[in-house]
Amino acid sequence: MAHNQRNRTPLPRLYLVSSGEENACNGTLLLNQLSLLPRSLPCMVQIREKQLNAKELLGLALQARAIELPEGTLLLMNERADIALAAGFDGVHLPENDCSANTLRAFAPELVYGCSVHSAAALCIAEESAADYLLFGPVFDTPSKRKYGAPQGLKKLGELCRATSLPVFALGGITPQNAARCIAEGAYGVAGLSIFQDTAKLAETFEQFYLHLNQ
Amino acid sequence: MMFSKPFLCVITDEALCPVTLAEEALKGGAAMIQLRHKAASGSQLFIWAVEIRKRCQQYHALCMINDRVDIALASKADGVHLGQQDMPARAARKLLGELGIIGVTASSPEEALQAQQDGANYIGFGHIYPTRSKLKDSSPLGLDILQKTATLVSLPILAIGGINHENAASVIAHGASGIAVISAVSRAHDPSMAAGELVRAIHNNGTL
Repeated sequence: MAHNQRNRTPLPRLYLVSSGEENACNGTLLLNQLSLLPRSLPCMVQIREKQLNAKELLGLALQARAIELPEGTLLLMNERADIALAAGFDGVHLPENDCSANTLRAFAPELVYGCSVHSAAALCIAEESAADYLLFGPVFDTPSKRKYGAPQGLKKLGELCRATSLPVFALGGITPQNAARCIAEGAYGVAGLSIFQDTAKLAETFEQFYLHLNQ
Repeated sequence: MMFSKPFLCVITDEALCPVTLAEEALKGGAAMIQLRHKAASGSQLFIWAVEIRKRCQQYHALCMINDRVDIALASKADGVHLGQQDMPARAARKLLGELGIIGVTASSPEEALQAQQDGANYIGFGHIYPTRSKLKDSSPLGLDILQKTATLVSLPILAIGGINHENAASVIAHGASGIAVISAVSRAHDPSMAAGELVRAIHNNGTL
């Protein structure tokens, strides 16, 4: 197994994924979210904006990096380790069919590597390459994922958590209220997109999440 | 840059296996292969890049990766080729180091000069002629703009767009250091032979 060279401080247990609707001309939702993060509550933030080209994505990433973030907050780039490095991000999130973390660690040992996992084979790859965390979902029903069929459910989340020692973030239809059920199944933390998009309530949402996560 | 005589770059065709095409192109005398596949996953690109790089080394040719600096670093390719929509050359240079080769696509003398200022090692310039490989919303640049650009910049210019064995020599005569093709090789009945014909055509430069 590859040795993870990252200095292992515990990861935040709340995980925000960007909307996937950032516009190259006015990427405002993400930057708004970042500037409104409550000071004392760190989180993982993944920029996942597949509609942007590399130039636009780097531009957005640099703007995100320029915002002063709560201590312990990690910025992650979906898929593109090169853009993560160029923007000074903390890590990269790898979809199931991306390069393995080991492959990328060879030239970027300092990054945090997360892996989406939907199958036993993907778990195997993630474990072999000593991923820093796993992202699993959709756990609950969520409108954006309905076209892919029924949610995976809490039972499958539990099976994954018991099959691995890596921290697992549960994604898909997560609310502060059902977050504790994910933790009860062994999840390390919870992730969401739409729940964090009401920026007027962002601080309140974060506080509620941490209330339930810390119970 | 790295070639004493005009060189051929073959860019992979999304409709074909890039490794097989690279192998054929190298047999025919291509000095540079560019792996370009916008729809492929990271793991697929990495696997192809490793295989193409291996073959390029056997033939003493350069292996370039389109857009993905991470894939270039992971596969130990020779460098990246960046379009105007990709990561800026300056950012890529920081990741690749001084030894990495960076090519930048330019469609005007201004973009070519900018690429030179940004630290590119060569310029992909085009499209010179009408081409069906990619849908274009601009008209072909033609040989005069190629020549003008070649006098403006000191970097090698790799001409691209509608180049075939009949017009390749004129492109070289108008200041290009090499040519880049997709379909002229990938869609040929015998890609290796097509690459060979192009190499012979550009080595007859100046004698139109």
